[in-house]
Amino acid sequence: MSEQWILILVLCIVTFLSRLIGVEMMAGRILHPTLRLYFNYVPIAMMVALIVDQIVITDQGSTSISLPIVGGAVAATLMIKVTRSFLPTVIIGVLVGLGIRYLLSS
Amino acid sequence: MLTKPHTVKTALLEAFPLALAIAAYGLSYGVLATQAHWSLWSTIMMSVLVFSGSVQLMIIAMVISGATLPGMIITAVLLNLRNLLYGASLADNLAPASRKYRWLLAFGVSDESFVLGNIRYQKYGADPLYFGVVAGLFYSAWVIASYIGAYIGDLIDPVRWGLDLAFPITFVALLIPSLTDKSIIATAVTALGIASILHYIMPTNEFNLIITGVISPFVGMYIARRQQHV
Repeated sequence: MSEQWILILVLCIVTFLSRLIGVEMMAGRILHPTLRLYFNYVPIAMMVALIVDQIVITDQGSTSISLPIVGGAVAATLMIKVTRSFLPTVIIGVLVGLGIRYLLSS
Repeated sequence: MLTKPHTVKTALLEAFPLALAIAAYGLSYGVLATQAHWSLWSTIMMSVLVFSGSVQLMIIAMVISGATLPGMIITAVLLNLRNLLYGASLADNLAPASRKYRWLLAFGVSDESFVLGNIRYQKYGADPLYFGVVAGLFYSAWVIASYIGAYIGDLIDPVRWGLDLAFPITFVALLIPSLTDKSIIATAVTALGIASILHYIMPTNEFNLIITGVISPFVGMYIARRQQHV
C-alpha cells in the first residue's frame, strides 16, 4: 500500500473521530445553562475566525491582508443588508473581489 | 409542526447557495491535487473518505511543499480540533436521532453544515433530518466538484477564476444577518480582535482558530448575563 493511501486512511479516521466525539459525548445530555449559553456563541466566534483566517495571508513569514477578499466582503455586507438575499450577495461579493484582483494585477 | 417533505425542501433551498460555494472550493481542491501529482482516484477517495475542505487543502499544500507523513497527520489533528467544538454545539440538535443515524450525521459535520444546522436549531429546535439533508447535499457537491476539478486538472487556475473567494464571501453573507443582538455582536468583535492579533503574532498557527473559538464566547456570555440583570 502506498504512502498516499495510508495518509488518506489515517486522515479519514482522525477526522471522523473528531466529529464523532463531540456529537456522541454531548448528545442527549442535559447541558448546564451556562454551558448552553457558551455554545450559543461558539458558531459566531468560529465564523469570524474562519473569515479572518482567509483574509490574512502569510507568505514566507510576512503577513498581509487580501484586498480582494476584504473588498468582496464589504460588498457582500452591503448587499445582504440591502437585498436580504443570499445567492446574489455571494455572486456580487465574488465579482467585486475578482474586479479588485484584476485592478491590482494590472 | 413542520412536515418531512417541507423540511427536506427547506434544507435543499437553504443549503443550495452554500453547496455552490463548497463546489467552488472542491473544484480548487481537485485542481490543486492534480498539480501535486495525485491520481484521479486518490484525489476523489480523499474527498469520499475525509470530506473536509480545510484538512484536504492543507494536506495537498503540505504534499506540494514536501512535508512528512507525521507532520501532515499532526496538522490534521489540530485542524480537526474545531470539530469537537462543532460537535458539542450541534449535539442537542442531533440528539433525537438514533445512534446509528447520529454516527452517519457526525460524518457530515463541517464548517458549513455546522453553521446552517445551528441557525435552524435557533429557529425551530432540534432537527436531525434538516441537518442530514444539508450534509448530504454538501457531501455530494464536494465529491462531484473534486472529481471535476481533478478531471480538468491543469486547465484552470482557481485564483484567476475567483474560486478561492467563494468561501470567505459565503461566510460573510451568513454572518452579517446573524449579528442581531448586542451579545452576539460583542462575540464577533472580540473574535475579530483575537483572530487578528493571533495571526499577527503567530502566523500559520493551527491553534488560532481554536483559541478564538474558545475565548470569544465568554464575552458574549458576559454581555448576555449583564443584560439579564439590568
